[in-house]
Amino acid sequence: MLTITAYVPIGMDTQKLISSLFATTVLATFTLSAPALAEGVDAGTLIENTASATFEDGEGSKTVDSNTVTVRVDEMLDVTVTSQDSGPVAAAPGEAVLTYEVTNQGNGPEAFTLTANPAVAGNDFDTTITAIAVDTNGNGVYDDGVDEILTGPETTAELAADEALTVFVIVAVPGGVADDDTSDIELLAEAVTGTGAPGTSFAGAGVDGGDAIVGATGADGTATGSLLIGITTVDLTKAVSLVDPFGGTSAVPGTVATFTLTAEVIGDGSLDNLVITDGIPDDTTYVDGSLMFDGATLTDASGDDAGEASDAAGISVDIGTVNGGDTFEVTFDVTID
Amino acid sequence: MNIFQKALATALFVATASMAGPALAQEASPVSLSGDVKAVVTSFDAEGNQSVELVEPSTIVPGDRLIFGTDYANTGDEPVKNFVVTNPLPGPVRLAPDADAELVVSVDGGKSWGTLSGLAVTLEDGSTRSATHQDVTHVRWTLAEIAPGENGRLEYPAIIR
Repeated sequence: MLTITAYVPIGMDTQKLISSLFATTVLATFTLSAPALAEGVDAGTLIENTASATFEDGEGSKTVDSNTVTVRVDEMLDVTVTSQDSGPVAAAPGEAVLTYEVTNQGNGPEAFTLTANPAVAGNDFDTTITAIAVDTNGNGVYDDGVDEILTGPETTAELAADEALTVFVIVAVPGGVADDDTSDIELLAEAVTGTGAPGTSFAGAGVDGGDAIVGATGADGTATGSLLIGITTVDLTKAVSLVDPFGGTSAVPGTVATFTLTAEVIGDGSLDNLVITDGIPDDTTYVDGSLMFDGATLTDASGDDAGEASDAAGISVDIGTVNGGDTFEVTFDVTID
Repeated sequence: MNIFQKALATALFVATASMAGPALAQEASPVSLSGDVKAVVTSFDAEGNQSVELVEPSTIVPGDRLIFGTDYANTGDEPVKNFVVTNPLPGPVRLAPDADAELVVSVDGGKSWGTLSGLAVTLEDGSTRSATHQDVTHVRWTLAEIAPGENGRLEYPAIIR
């Protein structure tokens, strides 16, 4: 290719020169346009075709070019939506977030109108759509106050050909749902230019005034995300055992009563800030230093460990974050006055 | 890349400058070449019979099929010999898979020629693989002689990338 400048266009060398020129020019075009070839050439691309002939007549070798025919590639409208959640999203009454990806599968820039449908057939319950947001900071996680919430009619910015956008659908889960209830939320994306059967054409609506034509996806796409209710509760039981001053189990002054609080975490999710508290019953006195958590003694003072206790305030044990299936035991002693 | 661009610029400049020579010769050319392009529209009637129609390309998108044609004619009064028509494929199209297997093509920008089945592509690591329709950069037709007044048509099918 670099040798092209060595040719001198005189006399019989013309033919050689022309074929070398084609080699150079076309190879260059081919190479430079390669990155656009992955998913279809961009809308607005010009396809130009020229043939060239060499031949010999009585006067020697000659060259003739054809006219150049040019056609412009029109805009194809195609979009896909996929759910980005690896499975059903664990949810409880309150806010839940579903994540989707909208990809412009067309060959030109296009914006898409988004519609979230919470009332999918087969749902155990329906959510209420709070908002549709785009992943402004690109971290794949919904950040309240950071990620832009779309205002109605919810429409994305123009996406370049092959560009993908992460979209969040924020829903409100109603009260009264039961554990293991599921609900699907469907996100629909539609090309702003138009949708329809593949092949539907929108004259002049494409790139550079070309046409826009609906591709195989119908220029719309949907994906379904799911919520799974995992209500997590704590089942707290309290038991007492008595040891009287005489070795029996009667409740008389001086009897030591040992209270056992058992907390069982039920459900599939987790809970934050679980704190077990209990008061000291009237006519009893807390036995100093008797507070225990899962068999280990806790001090009565506050701040040095998870527990604190006093005759006036009762006992308190801060367990923190707990998961479904966990069980905890807190014990303390009082004496009957 | 920078060196490549410079070299390309030089090559294109020379190309422009030197085209003046052949252009003069064309005025007296006894051969005319006329190019056209048609879009291929395949449709099915109610009985499921397939019909193929060639139309002016109005709306075309990636995946569509085009037929590039070149009409040639010897308008002089002498026969012309060694008539070779070279057609570089536009970058946005690839040769259709059902193109004539006997068509002489190049996969290296016009340096070497042959039928597709006999050509190979050299990869970046130096190894080679058989060339495919995707790789074709040029097509070429050779006619030994065109008699005075004789004309004909050359075509190749392409798919928009």
